[in-house]
Amino acid sequence: MRLEHWLFTLPLRIRSIFRRRQVELELEEELRFHMENRIEEAVRNGLSPEQARQQALRAMDGLEQRKEEMRDARRVHWLTDFIDDLRFAARSLRRAPGLAALVVITLALGIGMTSTPFSMVDALIFRPYPVPDPGRVVTLVSTSRDTAFGAFSYREYLDIRDNTRSYEGVVASVSPQSVGFSARPGETPQVRGGMMVSGNYFRVLGVEPQAGRVFRDDEDLAPGRDAVVVLGPDFWKREFASDPSVVGRVVRLNGRDFTVVGVAPNEFQGMFIFMRPDFYVPLAMAPVFSTNPAKNFFEDRDDRELNVKARLRPDATLAEARAELAALARGFERDHPQVSRDRGAAVRTQFEMRTRGDDINWKFSVIFSVLAVAVLLVACTNVAGLLLSRASTRTREIAIRLSMGAGRLRLVRLLLTESLLLALMGGLGGIVVGYGSLSLMQKFQIPSELPVTVPFRMDVRILMASVLVSLLCAIACGLAPALQSTRADLVKGLKSADEELPGRRRLWGRNVLVVAQVSMSLMLLTAAFLMSRSFQQSMVDGTRFADAPLLMARFDPRLVQYDLGQSLRFYEQLTARARSLPGVEAVGLTQSPPLGLDDFDRLAFVPDGLEMPRDRENFISTMDTVDEGFFQTMGIPILWGRGVLPTDKVDAPRVAVVNEQFARHYWPALALADVVGKRLRLERSTGPSVEIVGIAQTVKYRGTTETPTDFVYLPVAQHPVARLVLLLRTNADPLQRVEPLKGVVRSLDANLPISELRTYRDLYRYHAVEGPGVAVDMVGTMGLVGLLLASAGLYGLMAYNVSRRTREIGIRMAIGAGRSDVLRLVMGKGLLLVGAGTAIGLVLGLGVEQLMNAMLFNAGRVDFVAYLVVAPSMLLVTMLAAYVPARRASRIAPTQALRCE
Amino acid sequence: MDTLPSETDMSKPSDLVQGTLDLLLLKILALEPMHGWAISLRLRSISGDVLQVSEGSLYPALHKLEQEGWITAEWKQTENNRRAKFYSLTRLGRKELESETANWQRLSSAISYVVQLTEA
Repeated sequence: MRLEHWLFTLPLRIRSIFRRRQVELELEEELRFHMENRIEEAVRNGLSPEQARQQALRAMDGLEQRKEEMRDARRVHWLTDFIDDLRFAARSLRRAPGLAALVVITLALGIGMTSTPFSMVDALIFRPYPVPDPGRVVTLVSTSRDTAFGAFSYREYLDIRDNTRSYEGVVASVSPQSVGFSARPGETPQVRGGMMVSGNYFRVLGVEPQAGRVFRDDEDLAPGRDAVVVLGPDFWKREFASDPSVVGRVVRLNGRDFTVVGVAPNEFQGMFIFMRPDFYVPLAMAPVFSTNPAKNFFEDRDDRELNVKARLRPDATLAEARAELAALARGFERDHPQVSRDRGAAVRTQFEMRTRGDDINWKFSVIFSVLAVAVLLVACTNVAGLLLSRASTRTREIAIRLSMGAGRLRLVRLLLTESLLLALMGGLGGIVVGYGSLSLMQKFQIPSELPVTVPFRMDVRILMASVLVSLLCAIACGLAPALQSTRADLVKGLKSADEELPGRRRLWGRNVLVVAQVSMSLMLLTAAFLMSRSFQQSMVDGTRFADAPLLMARFDPRLVQYDLGQSLRFYEQLTARARSLPGVEAVGLTQSPPLGLDDFDRLAFVPDGLEMPRDRENFISTMDTVDEGFFQTMGIPILWGRGVLPTDKVDAPRVAVVNEQFARHYWPALALADVVGKRLRLERSTGPSVEIVGIAQTVKYRGTTETPTDFVYLPVAQHPVARLVLLLRTNADPLQRVEPLKGVVRSLDANLPISELRTYRDLYRYHAVEGPGVAVDMVGTMGLVGLLLASAGLYGLMAYNVSRRTREIGIRMAIGAGRSDVLRLVMGKGLLLVGAGTAIGLVLGLGVEQLMNAMLFNAGRVDFVAYLVVAPSMLLVTMLAAYVPARRASRIAPTQALRCE
Repeated sequence: MDTLPSETDMSKPSDLVQGTLDLLLLKILALEPMHGWAISLRLRSISGDVLQVSEGSLYPALHKLEQEGWITAEWKQTENNRRAKFYSLTRLGRKELESETANWQRLSSAISYVVQLTEA
């Protein structure tokens, strides 16, 4: 029945919409046919043709109303009206193309500049884990005095897994690491990013394989027994061309044969923001992969390398889980006081993990969001101002429409349609701008063999948000002017030529818009300026070594089954042969070069002779393992004492080099020279003693914006590690030494893979220059866009005021006012607004500076230079925007001005 | 139509009860397809002076019925070789006519019963 109904009516509706003209013609023809017959009949009855026509019309009872009733019967009124409104809006916008273009561009910039930071925030903070029911996946962290987000050891993980009841399962993983991979035994291994996970990892997270199977829980029981591997989806595509027969094949990882048992689904790219692991292996295979060589992974309770996640039971609350874990942690502290003193444990949600205070991504997200909202506000106020001035120039037009009987609601709808059209075009433009700036970010290359990606992308939610924002803009910016203009006094509106209606409130509103714009833009500019200045400053201090012509290459002899002794012998030979290469000035080894991609190891120590606080066992410092050539090669000066010497062998007394910051931190009362000779105890006050033999200059270690950091260097012979970076200082282009270096490595072991083979400057440029550079550019662009929009807004308002007061100015000039008087009259208002905006903007700028200092630079001081540059230039630009229309006003010829309506 | 409606509480007897015009039109079209002019002539002849249907309200009513899917229209030649819009009843319209007729008969018999009651 319903269906049959639509069978007849749907074609009619469609016809009424798309063939409107035809339908109208038929309506006319049908009525004409009736009228003609009626007239013929009357004439036959003896009336004159004119009388007959009159009678026929009367019988119709109002022909035009009847037609309107017939149109109403079509039930597509709302739509055809809307289409009419759209047509009308398009026509009237075409009459003011400059204004329309300005509004659309403003909105496009505003929305585009907002969607980029928002998609960053989305990727960094809000995007849920790619697993079913991600809201119940929580992270368990070990807490101590030094970290609120620590990892657990294998033993601790087993205890948590077996002694908690709030979870459906508890999983553990080790952060992705470099693994030597060969698709076939015998092939030269390539460096790929693999990740160790517990046997229940996929099952608990709810990840179903797209081929083969995932791990079984029992594949994680016996260390070294089950050599199985699950491939990541991207890796499977790249390396195996999505070949499903790969399941069951044997691949070689770090020299050991592993059987491929399955492939993770395409939706599951791992639990990280930036990393996409290439493959997964069971935790029990840890002996094949790199764990802390100084510890026993399976036994030592203080070898904390595991990230632990768990899936909450549907009937368990977060509070219960927290209480349970805290109780368990107290048990650890009681049972293992040696290694668990002062350690607690906590349950964190995904949101808590991503908004941790020490996370640079979160900080950038906050700052970008604040600035993006400011840009959007500037854009919206600008659009509101433009539409407002447009609405008031139409006072007369609207008054005529109202007096001819147009409904007020209908008129508001018409005006709203106009701003809706503008907003939609602006929104589309914004999406284009957003895509553009995001694709610029995507081009950004991260120099790493590990599968690192830039996760920012336009997804449906961002697009929806952009469209929503533009619609809100339309309503917010369009409604007020629409309501205002339809409320206009008809008589006055008709009488005067588009005259400004008296009323302080309205003017006040527009002034507020300008003040808001100026202050917001000033804030944006200040932020941009501060950011680029702090950035410049950060590049000056402690990064001088970055300009040296250095070639770097990373080796991990464990990938070809060397033991630690073999590895150290390999490095001895490697440095000796590399040093003798032509064009090489110095050679050094380091575990991770400063400003690199890897985080530094941490060293627990007690300064010898220092009374430790009762509740504290040791201090923690970042550290690096280096050889005797490192300081010279890297160009880091030794301020006092000596660097590492070839005589610092494994059997020699243990030594360390610390940086100046470290020395001042722990011996603030001593001169640097006196710190040399002091001793550290490793791990605890009864641990091995190490003598401080030298003080190195403090440099930047993790990033250029960091504050001075404690740092300890240990000689590689006394603190052996297998995975090291070789640095070659050359006398010319470092890249010319690539082939000779490869030759050296080949002569030592043809199968040993070389990774991260590049100039150090490339690494530095990425990490220290381009990464923050993107941020600086973005904030800078926002500042410029803000300034541009504010100037345009101010210019528009001033120009509008001048055109409004043309007659008044004419009269003033006719009775003797000079040009300068007029200039003063017009500029005065602009000055006042700009002044007020600047004052508020300075306050906002100080606020942003505090925010940025607190989150990024830790400078903690006010950068007056920034304000000295920004505020006057802002004043200058905005005054110019006010001056141009004011000058035009002063050039008005009185005769002409008086003649103008 | 030349006289103003009287100011009494009673409606004008010739005013059609709501929805009655629809029923009349469906009934007329059930006999044969017709154009608007022919329908207005037929209305005049069958109902005489008792039911005065304004020619003006005829066409909106026809269009409404068409949009409801009860009648469908087609442009055809008249006997005088002129183009006119002919309306005819659809299957849906026939159903509607049946149910409306039944309704009408129930209603009118109830009313006449009530009217006779008061007289008795």
